[in-house]
Amino acid sequence: MPSLSAIICIFRIHLARLRAEAGPFLLAALIFPSAMYLFANAISSSGADQQNRSRFLAGSIVFSLSLTAISWLGYLLLENRFTGRLKLFATLPLAPSSYVFGILVFGIVQAALGCSALLIVARLLGVRTQMSVWPLLVSVLLIMLCLSGLSVIIATRARSFSEGSLLTDSLGAGLVFLAPVYYSPAVIPKFLRAVSEWLPTALGARAVQAALGGSYALGDQMILGAMALVTLSLGFKLMQFREN
Amino acid sequence: MSSAAPTIGEQRAVVGETEATKKFRPADDEVMAVRVRGLVKRYRDGTEANRGIDLDVRRGETLSILGPNGAGKTTFLRQITSELRPTAGTIEIFGVDAIARPQQVKRKMGITPQEAGVFETLTVREHLELFARLKGLARDEAHESTSEIIHELDLDRETSRRVGQLSGGQRRRILIGLALLGQPPLLVLDEPTTGLDPASRRTTWAVIRKAVARGTTVVLSTHYIEEAEHLSDRIGIISEGRMIALGPLDELLARLPKSYRLSYRASLEQPRVQYFATFDAAQQYAVQRGMAEYSLARASLEDVYFELTGHRLEAEEPAEEIARCPA
Repeated sequence: MPSLSAIICIFRIHLARLRAEAGPFLLAALIFPSAMYLFANAISSSGADQQNRSRFLAGSIVFSLSLTAISWLGYLLLENRFTGRLKLFATLPLAPSSYVFGILVFGIVQAALGCSALLIVARLLGVRTQMSVWPLLVSVLLIMLCLSGLSVIIATRARSFSEGSLLTDSLGAGLVFLAPVYYSPAVIPKFLRAVSEWLPTALGARAVQAALGGSYALGDQMILGAMALVTLSLGFKLMQFREN
Repeated sequence: MSSAAPTIGEQRAVVGETEATKKFRPADDEVMAVRVRGLVKRYRDGTEANRGIDLDVRRGETLSILGPNGAGKTTFLRQITSELRPTAGTIEIFGVDAIARPQQVKRKMGITPQEAGVFETLTVREHLELFARLKGLARDEAHESTSEIIHELDLDRETSRRVGQLSGGQRRRILIGLALLGQPPLLVLDEPTTGLDPASRRTTWAVIRKAVARGTTVVLSTHYIEEAEHLSDRIGIISEGRMIALGPLDELLARLPKSYRLSYRASLEQPRVQYFATFDAAQQYAVQRGMAEYSLARASLEDVYFELTGHRLEAEEPAEEIARCPA
């Protein structure tokens, strides 16, 4: 069983990483998604009206979360595994779930920082929102849990560090650009549309956009919650400290 | 490794029970620190890393495990520490089934894996204190235990430095410190001093001895004969997945049929070593061949190891050509 004290320790161990590497984190979680927001605004064929701006902001928030949960957290998990740090945890009377929860808390704190920073930037860029705080928090949390679950799965199954990094990098960006996050679903080829609209990033973007508009997308949140349950359950099952 | 042919050890090791062995033979009802029976580890590719190992380690005993690279030492220790699931056999740690209850037995163990990474962005104190908390120590206990270990491992001046700024040897000492946190009753150390300079190695030995003086049981693997000789009550030699010899140093030395070692160098040749049954026979051999420079000594654990495994340990030693003299 996971223990709160152990989860806090795991979180603190990884927080030291953030303390030392705040620059690259900001680059990944803020600057890149902000740039994507500006880029999407600039090339938008329908003009940068408020509705589009809100959609692009939602897309950038999801992009930031995807980079944090999959690319960055995935990298961290892979690094722990392939540099032998995970072995240190395996020597302790520690439940693997405590380790995963500690990492998740770390990811969620980063996500909160990244999202807050993006919302401030958006305000400076003139995006007007009627944000509902709780639906936004719930949406961000569900996206993080779902995508972090994917990270855990990749980190436990990868055969090498390079294989895992390639997967997390591809998935971190790919899941955002394959989903109708920055563009309308109408532009996606029909055979892809059914799949892309059900990607967690697409569901997340819709849920975040609804929250930014002052409402909530309960259906999308519920599906996202179910996906989070599946990915995390699988992640927990695969995260073992004992090899066969 | 899966060859059915008998190993050198199997051919030569004859287990005879001496007084020294009896000292380490457990009473029937005694709860061992470590009890291993019929341990087999077979990997998916068919490699048999451990082939039926039996072992009892009494409380407070220090056991060193020697063996060539790939002999199965690390596999053996990783099973004891619950990091690796055995294919067959049983492991008990202080009477608790280590296979069924890994978390419970880990509470009784301090473990230094052979290859483990450290968290470079933490300071030395943070690293040790956070891991002490993960071991279940209360805040004050973690602080106290950390201070003690930092001092014992001679890391006082590095307390506030980030682990990433330390040398390889200092990082290795931190890994040993992590095992010592909370004074666990059993230490399992996989090559604890590999990569350490001689001074750090001696500091580490002192720390291990101090733990032993407190009653801690120690099981360690090593590549250093000197380490095994200095620290151990008993020495086990693993070769090709089997424990081919186990006993106190004196008993292992007594197994050598030729227990005098003559080392010499003939002209520009590689150094040569030959073994003799008696001191006189060795001396006579040297005189007969007019050797100007030679050394004659009682055989050491290194010689026993070579006799049993056919391998030399400690690669930093100059290569010697070994000959088994008929004398």
